[in-house]
Amino acid sequence: MLLTLLYDPSCGLCQRVQGWLADQPKLVELRMIPIKTEAARKRFPHLNHELTSEDLTAISDKGDVYFGPKAWLMILWTLARYRDWSYRLASPELLPTTRRVVSLISQHRYQISHVAGLSR
Amino acid sequence: MTIEITTYLVYLSISIALTIWVAHTIHKNGRIFLVEVFHGNEPLADSVNHLLVVGFYLINLGWVCLALKLGYAISTAQEGIEALSVKIGTVLLVLGGMHFFNLLLFSRMRRRATMRHGHPPVYPDAFTTVEEV
Repeated sequence: MLLTLLYDPSCGLCQRVQGWLADQPKLVELRMIPIKTEAARKRFPHLNHELTSEDLTAISDKGDVYFGPKAWLMILWTLARYRDWSYRLASPELLPTTRRVVSLISQHRYQISHVAGLSR
Repeated sequence: MTIEITTYLVYLSISIALTIWVAHTIHKNGRIFLVEVFHGNEPLADSVNHLLVVGFYLINLGWVCLALKLGYAISTAQEGIEALSVKIGTVLLVLGGMHFFNLLLFSRMRRRATMRHGHPPVYPDAFTTVEEV
């Protein structure tokens, strides 16, 4: 399996996370493409690319689209060290909290980047 | 033969017999786990199984040897049996502890192996076509 990640290159936090992801040992190949670029539109011609700027999007090579919190869980799932966490956070008891926390971070990603001094 | 020597000999024979029995049980039943962990690679599973049992023997027999000395004199058969009971009891507890430790190792190995081939944690939100570029 190959997981493609559509990330927002204009947000410092996303840049930092992307750098961290690149160094992690993986169980599944992860490819990262900036949103709304020629490469993204070519690879996924029928995707609504306007939506990808709202939240992180992950798409498998079979065309399964994971959006927002699910995309984050899928990233954890690709990482050898954190796969068990993806199952834990996706459990019925924790999924609502996971959604809330991830949405909060996503919505405030520019502010977080700014406060943490990660914005360019 | 003094009572001390008799106690020591009985202690050694019971402890060694128990160690061999537990090791044999682990060896026989652990194999199935390991074959699954190593995806049917039986030679590798047998090898790991054997190495685990060797470690088990070393630790247990080492403990049996270290715990042999009584440290006090016994004069009657009753005292001998009481001393024996304490010694065997300790060996049994150590064997039990080692046994559960082995089980923990097996189950951890198995969990790790099954996770490597696990399904995604969530269902997708939608489907789209993918063009290979």
